Amino acid sequence: MALKKSQQTPADAKDERHLPRDLSGLLTALNAAEPMARRWAARDLAEHPEASAALVERMRIETEPSVTQVILTSLTRLGDEIAVAGLTDCLRSEDAMLRNAAIEAMKQLPDEVAPIMGQLLEDPDPDVRIFAVDVLESLRHPRVEDWLIRVIAEDPHVNVCATAVDLLGEIGSERAAATLRALKSRFADEPYIQFAADLALKRIGAD
Amino acid sequence: MAVQKSISEEDFRTFREFFYRKTGILFEDSKRYFVDKRLLDRMNATGSETFRGYFTMMRFQTSGEELQTLINSMTVNETYFFREEYQFRCLVDSVLEELVERRADDSSPIRIWSVPSASGEEAYGIAIYLLEYWPRIADLDVEIISSDIDTDILAQARRGRYGERSLQQLPLSLRNKYFHRDGDHYRVDDVLREAVDFTRANVTDAAEMRGYRNFDVIFCRNLLIYFDDLSRKQTAESFYDALNPGGFVCLGHSESMSRISSLFRVRKFPEAIVYQKPWEAR
Amino acid sequence: MKRILVIDDAATVRLYHRSILESAGFEVTEAVNGLEALERVAEAPFDLYLVDVNMPKLDGYGFLRELRGKNQLPQAPAIMVSTEAAANDQAQAFLSGANLYQVKPVRPERLLSHVQTLLGMTPTDVGRPS
Repeated sequence: MALKKSQQTPADAKDERHLPRDLSGLLTALNAAEPMARRWAARDLAEHPEASAALVERMRIETEPSVTQVILTSLTRLGDEIAVAGLTDCLRSEDAMLRNAAIEAMKQLPDEVAPIMGQLLEDPDPDVRIFAVDVLESLRHPRVEDWLIRVIAEDPHVNVCATAVDLLGEIGSERAAATLRALKSRFADEPYIQFAADLALKRIGAD
Repeated sequence: MAVQKSISEEDFRTFREFFYRKTGILFEDSKRYFVDKRLLDRMNATGSETFRGYFTMMRFQTSGEELQTLINSMTVNETYFFREEYQFRCLVDSVLEELVERRADDSSPIRIWSVPSASGEEAYGIAIYLLEYWPRIADLDVEIISSDIDTDILAQARRGRYGERSLQQLPLSLRNKYFHRDGDHYRVDDVLREAVDFTRANVTDAAEMRGYRNFDVIFCRNLLIYFDDLSRKQTAESFYDALNPGGFVCLGHSESMSRISSLFRVRKFPEAIVYQKPWEAR
Repeated sequence: MKRILVIDDAATVRLYHRSILESAGFEVTEAVNGLEALERVAEAPFDLYLVDVNMPKLDGYGFLRELRGKNQLPQAPAIMVSTEAAANDQAQAFLSGANLYQVKPVRPERLLSHVQTLLGMTPTDVGRPS
């Protein structure tokens, strides 16, 4: 009884997972009874570009959060049109965990999300617009500041603007200054907007 | 005429919030000089005239390369024996005690994974700690596996030869017990070399990670901060399946799983905060 | 001094809530999501929580459910702040363990009066050493 050398690491990859690791085997395993088998299938399916639709479908009915997390990671790695559409649908979910996880996933996909960003920022549901602004936070894309300036110039909803101002304070330039001042008069009786816009102006060096 | 570049108070705050959100590392006001100096260095290196210009470039650069360079310059990654010793104390006094209690009659070995191995100080350090400070080592088997992506550093770890600097935190009695003088270096005793298994592994490669499982404790300190968000999340998910239910992940002291993944529960022990795969996990 | 944990992923919102609460003599700690909030709670107890709903990793509902579900964690009143005014969002907040629901953006005087009520203080108590 003491320290001893491992006999099994790395273990033989054949292991307990009985199904073959090709596409059809993985798609079957994605609906297996044990969550661990589903997680492994979801993880390995990230190597199969044709798997996005099946992953999106599973995500809609999946009840085990640890599996959902892995599905989201794989969809982010696949990042094709079907994956992005599946993530976008999640923004309307009643499940706060799924909504917020989808936002995080979309932040990783600038080029894929950019084409639909204009549309998301004009969604009739203010919550979807707020989530779209949240996605902009990590989106490595040259148009981010333009999108934000348009939001604070035009969006009627105070919380959509509030979310955009927070981000403009971080990444905005002098170009945003005039619109920030206009926003202050548009929401003259909202202390939060006054506070946030003043802070943003100070940070971009325009106060 | 060259304009003196500078970082304003607001620049510092903007940067601090961003860096905190990305890495979980919070710079107090007292670190202002340290942070400013590094930011100015990176501004010079990238030819940025203003903080704002540099910051925007770094945030929106598609490759994310400058952010990584900046993280490297803001973090000091030194490795030596018993670095962040309180975590080893937590291992023997709290983590292993809980695991052993739950295992009851299970006599299979307790498995500890140290990644990245770097030159081996952490894995050998864990071995020393168990032998010295965990009496139950007399009744139970423990396996220590340590992995790295870099085969050169693995060869160095297997060799187990260290300079004075690596050993300075180690009490003299332990140095004498577990090391042998070898010129101006120290060689780790064969008991330790035979106890630790060094393997090559890339933790971000899901296929490679399949072979790593049934661990009870994973030490992964000061590695994930260098990854992008997606690789970090993917690695945490691989760790989840590499652990037995109830298994623990120990991260570096400025790191937090709360920025990475919601799969683990935070556990506060007297010595440290660690992250646990729920016992009921399936 | 009463300690309040402000949990929100937006830095400006944290700063805003901090400035309001500090001006009234409270000690404020921040967390950027529910998981980090649980870490702060594990480190030291708080007298009140000000919790956003939508946050990455662990949202406000999830944070409160974890907090309320664990007897070993120190319990204290929680105000949930949300961009959503719908009735079922409020219901979900109360079911998760919130004591009060506020729609954003929050007005300073209203926030302070709610905080003081939940802490069982009269306005003059605030800022006194306790």
